[in-house]
Amino acid sequence: MVELKEYQRSEVPNWCSGCGNFSILAGVKKALSELNIEPHNIVLVSGVGCFAKLPYWIKAYGFVGLHGRSLPVAQGIKLANPKLTVIAFGGDGDGYGEGGNHFIHACRRNLNVCYFVHNNGVFGLTTGQYSPTSEKGRKSKSSPLGTLEKPLNPLTLAISAGATFVARAYAGDFKQLVELMTQAIQHTQQGKGFAVVDILQPCVSFGKNYEYYQKRVYYLGTEHDATNKIKALEKALESGEKLGCGVIYEEP
Amino acid sequence: MDSFGLRIGGEAGWGIATGADLIAKACIKLGYNVFSTKDYASQIKGGHNYHTIRVSQGSVNADVNQVDLLLALDKETLLRHQSAVSATGIVLYDARTIIEDKDSRYLSIPLAKIEASLKEKNIHNSVFAGAALKVMGISFEVLAELIKQEFSHKPALQDMLLKSARAGYDSVDAIKDKTLIQNKVITNPDFISGNDAITLGALKSKITFHAQYPMTPVSGILHNLAQEAIKNKELVVIQPEDEIAVINMALGASYAGARAMVATSGGGFSLMAESLGLAGMTEIPLVVIEGQRPGPATGLPTKTEQGDLKFVLFAGQGEFPRVVIAPATIEEGYTETKRAFYLAEKYQLPVIVLIDKHLAESYKTVDLIEEEKKFEFDYSKRINIITDIKDAQLNPDGMFKRYAGGNLYRTLPGTPNGIFTCAGDEHDEVGEITEDAETRIAMVQRRMNKLKLILSELPPPQLMGEKDAELMVVSWGGNQGAIVEAINLLKEEGKKVNFLSLRYLCPFQTVEIKSILSKSEKLLLIENNATGQLGELIAEKTGIIITDRLLRYDGNTFTVDEIYDELKKRI
Repeated sequence: MVELKEYQRSEVPNWCSGCGNFSILAGVKKALSELNIEPHNIVLVSGVGCFAKLPYWIKAYGFVGLHGRSLPVAQGIKLANPKLTVIAFGGDGDGYGEGGNHFIHACRRNLNVCYFVHNNGVFGLTTGQYSPTSEKGRKSKSSPLGTLEKPLNPLTLAISAGATFVARAYAGDFKQLVELMTQAIQHTQQGKGFAVVDILQPCVSFGKNYEYYQKRVYYLGTEHDATNKIKALEKALESGEKLGCGVIYEEP
Repeated sequence: MDSFGLRIGGEAGWGIATGADLIAKACIKLGYNVFSTKDYASQIKGGHNYHTIRVSQGSVNADVNQVDLLLALDKETLLRHQSAVSATGIVLYDARTIIEDKDSRYLSIPLAKIEASLKEKNIHNSVFAGAALKVMGISFEVLAELIKQEFSHKPALQDMLLKSARAGYDSVDAIKDKTLIQNKVITNPDFISGNDAITLGALKSKITFHAQYPMTPVSGILHNLAQEAIKNKELVVIQPEDEIAVINMALGASYAGARAMVATSGGGFSLMAESLGLAGMTEIPLVVIEGQRPGPATGLPTKTEQGDLKFVLFAGQGEFPRVVIAPATIEEGYTETKRAFYLAEKYQLPVIVLIDKHLAESYKTVDLIEEEKKFEFDYSKRINIITDIKDAQLNPDGMFKRYAGGNLYRTLPGTPNGIFTCAGDEHDEVGEITEDAETRIAMVQRRMNKLKLILSELPPPQLMGEKDAELMVVSWGGNQGAIVEAINLLKEEGKKVNFLSLRYLCPFQTVEIKSILSKSEKLLLIENNATGQLGELIAEKTGIIITDRLLRYDGNTFTVDEIYDELKKRI
């Protein structure tokens, strides 16, 4: 097994104290370690946003590119060297806004790449403007009277566009987060296609706090048939008051 | 005859390109050089299409306005092009077309009768091709052999083409002074377009990754490479969702070890601008083909222009190194693409090969064996990629100091001990994000210093023609063909004009170019754009302002006739 310390770098992350990104960073290391993937065989690709600094703080090959563009870069890497474990990271602004087109087509294309999206419903690095997943009516510096747009549903979008693995995780539950990341990486290792994990992430400075999510997050039980696309879409359409986490859809 | 020009025109969808191709290849079989251009509207059916084919003993690289033979498959072709037929020329037209002022140059083709007797429709192209070869005095066997060769996989079509071409051939008489004499100047030529030349250059450079979104005038490169990838297992070709994905995929692939290229026109290049800077910042090799067409916005999508020079020189926020090369001929498309792959891999930066529709989609006979000698490199070798990392190259965390000092070595993901971060943020020697001012200065200097190194590797600019000329022409790209030919015509009249044709536009060879320009009293700038972009670049770099400018921006390329007339006015 590759020990956790092998992924260690001496720089300290500069995220806000209590940020959901810490557990996502730790979760990535834990999942990679448990799957015994050596640092030099991993490429972590990100874009721009608080989340996007993640590759700077883990010892593995990293590519910190442009806002919204982690998916095309990750797919290019995988096409050039299929032996590498390639994980792309996105944010809700970065991946669902700026990179929305790439997201749809990566789902259709189904290359063996993971996509972990740090979804906190707010632009953190630019100080709190509303994002594509902010709830309708959200007030912010850029929407003083509240937003007029409905939030984007990344789960239904990913399923309908053809992604073969779609899951929702919560950054506040480390154990389940690692489990879902592990399953996503395994899905790509087995050559089954594109694996999306939308990660609900508290933003302690501008977004929703842990308490908000604790009240709403629950885990899908064995009664949920993730191989049934219609059932998966029904689950993905659940209202914002209930946030079902786990594997929503996996193509049989 | 030494040289012969013909034009074939008709509606899109009539197979004008096939007709033109048969005529061109028949002339090539006789040993002639051929240069062929096509002009078409942005629609698939209907709309006026025409090809101009020049057949010559010597090498030709340019379009002409005046032709010796016009094949008018419809009335529109007659109306548009009959004034371009020379006094001793011939016009072949469909007998059904009513012409008021025809003279002895006009020969009708009984197309309706031929269609009726063969019980076929839409055979304009082969009937006219057959008739054209008869007029040119070429034996029908040359055409028959060609049709058998080119359509061997489609027997029914082959049979129909043979019959209809024969009927066309028999419908007219040969004309004595138009006869082409068998000429063995060239023996085994390739007949290729600029897009083909770039494709072949990329394949010679052992390209392994090509991404492209379709766009005129460079879609031919995508089609060529997609076909090639069927048998070439080392090559990945992909058509992503947009040009932003195109360039970012190519950067990911190149970073992971592929030899990568993208191709687009100005519109797609606009979408790539930010990522071009990412290539410069992260120091990833990338070859970018930019085939210009007239903008702005959608502009004239199937026409030609040189309007993107300044755009490719400056596209992208911030300052980063790039190379911009503008081939001047179809052959140079081959050579300069090879050079682009070499420079990109060695210096790890974006290299832009800037062509235009005129070069991309014109065809000519070329000798690639001769061309090969102009730039040779063993592309089975990788440049500056290392796998054996010494301890001294690692920081205390065991990260590879990829961006240290003037180090141009890189590692590929998958290499043990080669880990670094490839970052669009300003970064330190292992790629870690930083805002430290001293590191910033060192990194900017490290990146920009590449241009000095590249400058020392570029072939120096060459003045073509005699030193003591009355007039010096300055231009770039595909204008060269028409300019050289016009200068040669003037030389026969005892008039001396010389020519500075610039290829390497960034880094700019300021010292050499200034020295050449300073020696002439009288300068003329020729560009296929409205603002004289090369002229402004020359002024910026050398302080020399060229006031006499010949600019064309109607969507068409310069013709030999036009440049000849313009030069003559000035000497």
